[in-house]
Amino acid sequence: MCTSVEPLHTSLKILTLFPLAALCGYAVGACAEAPPAAVRAVFEQHCVKCHSGDEPKGDMTLEPLMDGHGGLKLWQDALEKIETGEMPPKSKPRPAPEQQRAAVDWLAALVLGEKAVLREKEGRVVLRRLNRVEYENTLRDLLGVEVRVRELLPEDSSAAGFDNVGAALHSSSFLLARYLDAAAEALDQAIASGPQSAVKKQRVTLADAYQFKQDTEHAFRKRADGRITMFSSSQWQAATLFWLDRRGRYRFRMSVQGDQSSGKPVVFSTYTGGGSDGPKPVLAGYFDAPAEAPKVIEFEAFMEPRMSMTIRPYGLAVAQEIAKEGEKWAGPGLAVDWVEMEGPLNETWPPASHERLFAGLKQAPVKVPGGNDILEVQPNDAAADARRIIAAFARRAFRRPVGDAELAPFIALVAKRQADGSTFEQAVRAGLAAVMTSPAFLFLNETPGPLDDLALASRLSYFLWSSMPDEELLSLAEKGTLHDPATLRAQLDRLLKNPKASAFTENFTGQWLRLREIDFTEPSGQLYPEFDDMLKVSMVREARLFFDELLRHDLPITNFLASDFSMLNGRLAKHYGIPGVEGWTFQRVTLPPGSHRGGVLTMAAVLKVTANGTNTSPVMRGAWTLDRIFGRPPKPPPPDAGSIEPDIRGSTTIREQLAKHRRIESCASCHVKIDPPGFALENFDVIGGWREFYRSTGNGKPVEIDGKKMRYLQGPPVDATGEMPDGRKFSNVDELKQILLADTDVFARTLTIRLITYGTGGIVEATDQREVSAILEKARTSKWGFRSLVHEIIQSRLFREK
Amino acid sequence: MNTPVTRRHFLRSAGIILALPTLESLQPRAFAAGKTPPPRRMACICAPLGMHAPDFFPEEKGRDYKPSMYLETLGDLRGDCTVISGLAHPGVGSTHDSQDSFLTAALHPENRAGFRNSVSLDQFAAEKIGDQTRLPSLALAAEGSSLSWTRSGAMVPADTFPASVFARLFLQGRPDEVQKQTRRLEDGLSILDTVRDQSKRLDGTLGTRDREKMDEYFTSIRELERRMAVAREWSTKPKPHVDVPPIQNNANPADLIGKTRLMLDLIHLAIQTDSTRLITLLLLGTSQVPPIAGVSQGHHDLSHHGQDPGKIAQLRKVELELMKAHGEFLTKLKQTSEQDGSLLDHSMILFGSNLGNASNHSTKNLPFLLAGGGFKHGQHLAQNADESPPVSNLYVSMLQRLGIETDKFGTSTGTLTGLEVW
Repeated sequence: MCTSVEPLHTSLKILTLFPLAALCGYAVGACAEAPPAAVRAVFEQHCVKCHSGDEPKGDMTLEPLMDGHGGLKLWQDALEKIETGEMPPKSKPRPAPEQQRAAVDWLAALVLGEKAVLREKEGRVVLRRLNRVEYENTLRDLLGVEVRVRELLPEDSSAAGFDNVGAALHSSSFLLARYLDAAAEALDQAIASGPQSAVKKQRVTLADAYQFKQDTEHAFRKRADGRITMFSSSQWQAATLFWLDRRGRYRFRMSVQGDQSSGKPVVFSTYTGGGSDGPKPVLAGYFDAPAEAPKVIEFEAFMEPRMSMTIRPYGLAVAQEIAKEGEKWAGPGLAVDWVEMEGPLNETWPPASHERLFAGLKQAPVKVPGGNDILEVQPNDAAADARRIIAAFARRAFRRPVGDAELAPFIALVAKRQADGSTFEQAVRAGLAAVMTSPAFLFLNETPGPLDDLALASRLSYFLWSSMPDEELLSLAEKGTLHDPATLRAQLDRLLKNPKASAFTENFTGQWLRLREIDFTEPSGQLYPEFDDMLKVSMVREARLFFDELLRHDLPITNFLASDFSMLNGRLAKHYGIPGVEGWTFQRVTLPPGSHRGGVLTMAAVLKVTANGTNTSPVMRGAWTLDRIFGRPPKPPPPDAGSIEPDIRGSTTIREQLAKHRRIESCASCHVKIDPPGFALENFDVIGGWREFYRSTGNGKPVEIDGKKMRYLQGPPVDATGEMPDGRKFSNVDELKQILLADTDVFARTLTIRLITYGTGGIVEATDQREVSAILEKARTSKWGFRSLVHEIIQSRLFREK
Repeated sequence: MNTPVTRRHFLRSAGIILALPTLESLQPRAFAAGKTPPPRRMACICAPLGMHAPDFFPEEKGRDYKPSMYLETLGDLRGDCTVISGLAHPGVGSTHDSQDSFLTAALHPENRAGFRNSVSLDQFAAEKIGDQTRLPSLALAAEGSSLSWTRSGAMVPADTFPASVFARLFLQGRPDEVQKQTRRLEDGLSILDTVRDQSKRLDGTLGTRDREKMDEYFTSIRELERRMAVAREWSTKPKPHVDVPPIQNNANPADLIGKTRLMLDLIHLAIQTDSTRLITLLLLGTSQVPPIAGVSQGHHDLSHHGQDPGKIAQLRKVELELMKAHGEFLTKLKQTSEQDGSLLDHSMILFGSNLGNASNHSTKNLPFLLAGGGFKHGQHLAQNADESPPVSNLYVSMLQRLGIETDKFGTSTGTLTGLEVW
């Protein structure tokens, strides 16, 4: 075994990277080398006494360590306990710091060496189960139906910041039970079991809405030609239309225009939802109604029976205000000429999802005892049809060609269920569900060493689409040409052009920037009355559009640190104090001097997810920056560290409280690194607005905005100055950004590691850093262009090997 | 863009697969005969946004404590409850992530990277006593997450719709529905049989870390097969009849109290019919404004009160309502008799939180109220918060009370001193 490491080229690299690993040899598990005497002494005096014998403390026997045995898990556990100071226990004598260091170094080298061996043998990426987002997207692409199943599956756990890392994804019988349910449900959607529902098309005006009929507040005004203007944004005056009796996809169209809006567009949102225990209202979108002329807005939505569609103008008056003036109300409004509904939409019948599975088999009615008759497909030749259906499906589901031997059990299952008394269609459904519950479907199958083209196709599509390869990608892989660098390059560009690539933006930024946590806290209404849903939705959109903009135009990744532009709409521009942008529609806006914006750190979404609803903490934002920008997540606080009790009464600032904390030496050593970026960000409140004073509910001066007295007070002033651990000083966030830019290499490595982790579902270890450096060198020559970086990543060994 | 298949729709069809009875006890037990000792049960309830400590804990220790504002709401239940202060989970950091370790005591959930959960109290118990009822255990939550975790560290998805749980436990269903469910069960067993063979074949070619994953999947198949086989037996037996109108869902995502009451009603019925003996319930913890008179700010926001008196006053209103609902639930259990005592006497009801002080996310001095189960109640069991005993000690005491022979769970160092059985 010891000689087996000989031909491996990475071993050499590790030897140079980690000389200590070389000391104890490679295949450490097999040919162990005892630790040096000094380290052995530490184990002997401080560990083995308790962790040995018939009843070792903590059920952990450390005797093997003395001879360098024990295996990876034991070494890792021991390393963690010693490094974090958890062991030896406080009540026992502790080794001198340099002794402890020596033990930690020796164990760390042992762990690294073993990991390098493991990696050669088993690959870097651990067998990866589809996470629930990938599972849902894959069902969508496999069957051609929209099934919302992710909320039914348990949350996936994460490692290294992402929930698609194989090592962290587990299975359970509960999960499997839900997979069975999800497969059955998805097949119900994909397979037609009744005649086509007639497509209904209906055009109405807002006069149909019960809110219009019951309006006593003059929130609606009807013109002679039937056009109705909505003047209020109050929730109870939103207009609810239609009452659908069939599920399916519907198209909604409406003719809208801004009314009395001083030349500015009027923004409105539409929601679908309804029913007493029905689904929560879901935002279909925000739209602009132009002031100049009527415009037809169109969108599609999937609707359940008893759902309706609601129109709600944004930013208009509350209804009580309008009621005071009645018909003379001169404020802006949303004029709606008509609203049209069409659906359920089906281009063909039976729908494409049905035809793709059964390819031309006829349907016939089947009696259901105690229920309504349904249609089921009828075979021409049951055995041959089942084989054909299952084979075609399995190839796509397994994302590779499937041989007869592998198909046999699924086909046998269909036959068995038919023999047990199921109809042909019922039996085939069971076969299809088995394919969707099989490990070949649920896991991404990769073998150690360079990935074959089929595995590469899946890795690429799950990276960029969080879903299975499409036909073009799969065919290229079957032909064996995908690995050709030029082909791979072209495929990446093609995949990114597809709307499905929004999954990359959404899932990567959702986790890297923590945008998924946007709803975790609701800002205090008393302190932040200006916060609203449109602002929240706009914040997240800014971050995603910014990411897309860099990706699309290959702009330098330094823009993530500081940029002279951002992607804004009217709501966000107002929030940022930037004039000249109106309405919902987003545009690339050049930031005026003194905006303090540009880059991800000063985006409202990031500032919101790093605060809670009431107050900000330099520690939280500092830790975020260290982790997400510098790639050096701070260690968790020691168990006895107190946490700061937030105080919004205006008598003390978080900075004063922290100063007390930092006077304790053991706290200062970490906080001197954690807090500084957070101090610079103190100029931003919990919703990412610029502030020079804290808002308080207890002490402070009254605040008036537009003649309206606010429910909060002006608290103490913000101090946003600070000093990096290396002594570089900054007086505000703009100067902090310049410091970050000087460390572009550090950020580039952080981002690259995150992209590789997300893109491959495998953790980037110390042994992989040299490969990362190689990617960075190439990216540097393309002036840090973002798309170029992604290209370099998919061409790298880390991406192309297991 | 939208929600094509709703949860409700989905769960309706999910039904029977999760119903997991055992062969020995297909009939409701013959308690009335008085031959068998009464069953022992456990329900664990977590309020994820904490309970305002000064209003929850009494100042005095021992039996002669003066009830705190919140304990006042329990009235004459005093003798059926023990309030416990000073407990903490060692190695569980101060964040909301501590919720994941509430019933598992797994270390450092706050280190999201690399955190791996361990088995939760209810699932640990279900391995031992879960085979005695229609459902081995029942995980409930007002939304999203779950308190229950498997041995492999996978989340046990919680039911969030009381109406579908009610239907699964108590409604017989139309003949065609029953037939469809039976077929799904048979399909499911055949499917598992097929994929089990496939995963066995794959297993041989894998490296150690990959094989661990495949083994986990393989084990999941076997466990599910076993449960479904038992479910098939149960499916032929009539469901227990309950003389109440079916429980409906509460669609208001902000309605903390409304949702809590529905779940507590459901738990009462599940216990009464002996449908399961192990229940977990994660209460709502949203940022929305609960519909309670005098409350205008979101619950999560209020929990971060930052010592603001106005916010604390509103937080109190929310938490008092919650305590009231809980007290009514305990009273109902107490008023339902079973053998020589009441349901409450035979059921441990643990109410608590993963946060000791939600305003700074502190996980020290966690609030706990243990009711029923036949303990010597009526005291404030105050632990020294500086040397907090692990919460797991309480859990070991509870496991032993369930009749499970164990002296270890999670980070336990023993049982909880001062908690005694009559």
